[in-house]
Amino acid sequence: MSQPLFSKLPPGFRIQRETNTEEFFINMGPQHPSTHGALRLTLRMDGETIVELVPHFGYIHRGMEKQAESMSYLQYIALSDRQDYLTAIQNNLGVVIALEKGMNVGVPERGEYIRVMLQELGRIASHLVFYGCFGGDLGGQTCLLFGFKEREMIHDILEEVTGSRLTTNFFRPGGSRYDVPDTFIPRVKAFLDHLEGAMRDYERFLSKNIIVLERSIGIGVLTKEDAIAYGCSGPVLRASGVEFDVRRANPYSIYDQFDFDIPVFHNGDCYDRYKIRIAEIHESMKILRQCIDKFPKEGPWRSKEKPVRLPVGRYYSEIETAKGLYATYVVAATTGEKPYRIHTRGPSFPHIAALNKMVQGHKISDLVTIMATLDPVIPEIDR
Amino acid sequence: MGIINLAPKVLDPIPGGKYVVNAIDYVVNWARANSIWPLTYGTSCCAIEMMSSSMARYDIARFGSEVFRASPRQADLFILAGTITRRMAPAIQMLWEQIPGPKYAIAMGACTISGGPFIYDNYAVVRGAQNLIPVDVFVPGCPPRPEALFHGLLTLREKILKETCRKPWHEGLPKDVSTMDRYREAAKTWAALEEMKDEEMAEARAKFKEEHPDYKSSYKPIRIKKEDFPEVERKPFRRVGLTQLELYQKLTAKFPNITFHTHSEEPVETVLANAPADRPLEVMVEPEDYLAAVEFVKNDPEFKMDFLIDVTAIDYDDHFDLVTQLRSIEVGHKIFLCVQLKKDFSIPEEKRPTSLLASVPTISHLYPAAEIKEREVYDMFGIDFAGHPDQRRIFLDKDFVGYPLRKDFSHPEMIRRPL
Repeated sequence: MSQPLFSKLPPGFRIQRETNTEEFFINMGPQHPSTHGALRLTLRMDGETIVELVPHFGYIHRGMEKQAESMSYLQYIALSDRQDYLTAIQNNLGVVIALEKGMNVGVPERGEYIRVMLQELGRIASHLVFYGCFGGDLGGQTCLLFGFKEREMIHDILEEVTGSRLTTNFFRPGGSRYDVPDTFIPRVKAFLDHLEGAMRDYERFLSKNIIVLERSIGIGVLTKEDAIAYGCSGPVLRASGVEFDVRRANPYSIYDQFDFDIPVFHNGDCYDRYKIRIAEIHESMKILRQCIDKFPKEGPWRSKEKPVRLPVGRYYSEIETAKGLYATYVVAATTGEKPYRIHTRGPSFPHIAALNKMVQGHKISDLVTIMATLDPVIPEIDR
Repeated sequence: MGIINLAPKVLDPIPGGKYVVNAIDYVVNWARANSIWPLTYGTSCCAIEMMSSSMARYDIARFGSEVFRASPRQADLFILAGTITRRMAPAIQMLWEQIPGPKYAIAMGACTISGGPFIYDNYAVVRGAQNLIPVDVFVPGCPPRPEALFHGLLTLREKILKETCRKPWHEGLPKDVSTMDRYREAAKTWAALEEMKDEEMAEARAKFKEEHPDYKSSYKPIRIKKEDFPEVERKPFRRVGLTQLELYQKLTAKFPNITFHTHSEEPVETVLANAPADRPLEVMVEPEDYLAAVEFVKNDPEFKMDFLIDVTAIDYDDHFDLVTQLRSIEVGHKIFLCVQLKKDFSIPEEKRPTSLLASVPTISHLYPAAEIKEREVYDMFGIDFAGHPDQRRIFLDKDFVGYPLRKDFSHPEMIRRPL
């Protein structure tokens, strides 16, 4: 009795299979709590098992790249905040490094330390949101409260330094907008002391939790070859056993002066993707402690202010945000204050493309776990 | 609440009945205003601040709104957190229709008030939520702080407390006034207010001078001194993998048509040898060589370009530049292959904006990552990828007219940025 079920599949679905059971389609999103924003997924189900998944993007496509063509370079830094708002401060740096390459401007030592410290604070903030959402998606709403508790402390520091909680718009070619206040270093120190104890509690809460173990070990395995082929980066790639971190591979800023490890896990399942982010929080704390020790008390914090005009050419920068490889490609067709085109490569876009590979054969509740461990931010995909 | 709304009709004729109606109002409003359950909805940055407001530090539970419902059928309040795009608009209207009345909406953030940072040169964003659904409270900010959201919530509470059985909640209609019109009106009012203020101030100053003829101010303006900063040299970058010159020589040995584009008059080799270490090699490839070149750099043991960073394009007057950005995870070097695709000008001019102007072979069978990137380029530029397994629009609706990232793109809803 086996026969092909669908003579014509909806657009996007490709797998041709013959079954005796009845298949059906489920629509998930664009307004769904576990898709982390306005993402729509269509699932082809065999009973409760996922056969195939097709993501539909564009529900938050805001046309940033078109808009950037009529903006000045400095105005685009503000737009980059709104791409991946969890790592806004890191996106700023990605754009600014590309501009610095064009302007040929360096950054004094104190400025570099400010950059690295804010980068790592941003990374911890983003991973704490991941911790909360991961626990929340598995059914433990308490984790959400925990993750956001320490994140608020980072927001306090960011607010004191940049004037804004979320969309910072802080870095400028040659340094940053302002110097850090005197209270910055003591506050970061106090925060790290607090976070160390808090992380111990949080790890005890989830890492050995039997529900988490059962629901994440062996779920959503992404092999090393697939992870590279689909262009995954950041914690997702490193959880699959590839040691690739831009901070180590192509060190930007002063990341080559610090002693830190790149955590790598080899199973590529949901549990490894969770563990790697916890390990990265500890590595970030390590970098921050070294920064506190070496932070120059005196000295200029930015180089001489220059008009932001880029000569004709194409400039490319890449940085490692909390989510992965964030690349900015600036095309200047005429020497001036406005770009001809700016293109951003966000890390979450390839992750969602690889989602189909990960969910096949899993149950629909596992999809929620896998989505949580990919930690996507949809506005950064759609731009 | 049909029965309660009948209360005035039944009770008002009875002596003392209006006191009962007032009591009913009091109880109903007390219940409604203190348990406004919001819908779990968020598209972008504001959603994170909305989440923050429901967490331990800010604790939205103090105002009775901690129960975020995932289903619109259980919600009373629609917090529009984040930009509204044209593609999302029908979903928002559907969500609003699914919420049972009495229902309220808070437009959170600049994007939902007017389009915010996306007001100019934008083809995708709806300028203001009030064009879609009736909004009760606007909360400005980009994104607003949690405290601002609470202020919006308390303002809404006041509004709810003003409702009575005699004047019950009714669904309003979305306001069909364009954002620019409202802007102009607001600007006019603002200018009038400023003028009035100026006149009043001038009067007050004149009066003060009359009363105190020999008054001298002791105030000295303090100007912040602009600090002088020294110029700083750029740090040298560590070179990883093969140098640009080596990559270039190895590529040209295999594909002699590959060229390096430079504005300098020096020979290519000298330019490449002196190039900064952090700059990737960007070479021009002929369209015929493109597929073979990508295949070569992927499989060659010296190149090992196993990681596709991105595929993107740039629109020029008569051609597209398709840039394929590749890197080697193991070795660390990067190559940007740039293909110049001549635009097909045999297509009549009036049809050009809506038709595919160039074609190039796909590389999605070599790099699975290229599939979505090529779909994006197809969507934004209208470049055809021959042999692509699933060439559909990715970010825009399938009935969207035109390709937005072309320089000659125009959209009826686009407002040009004033210079």
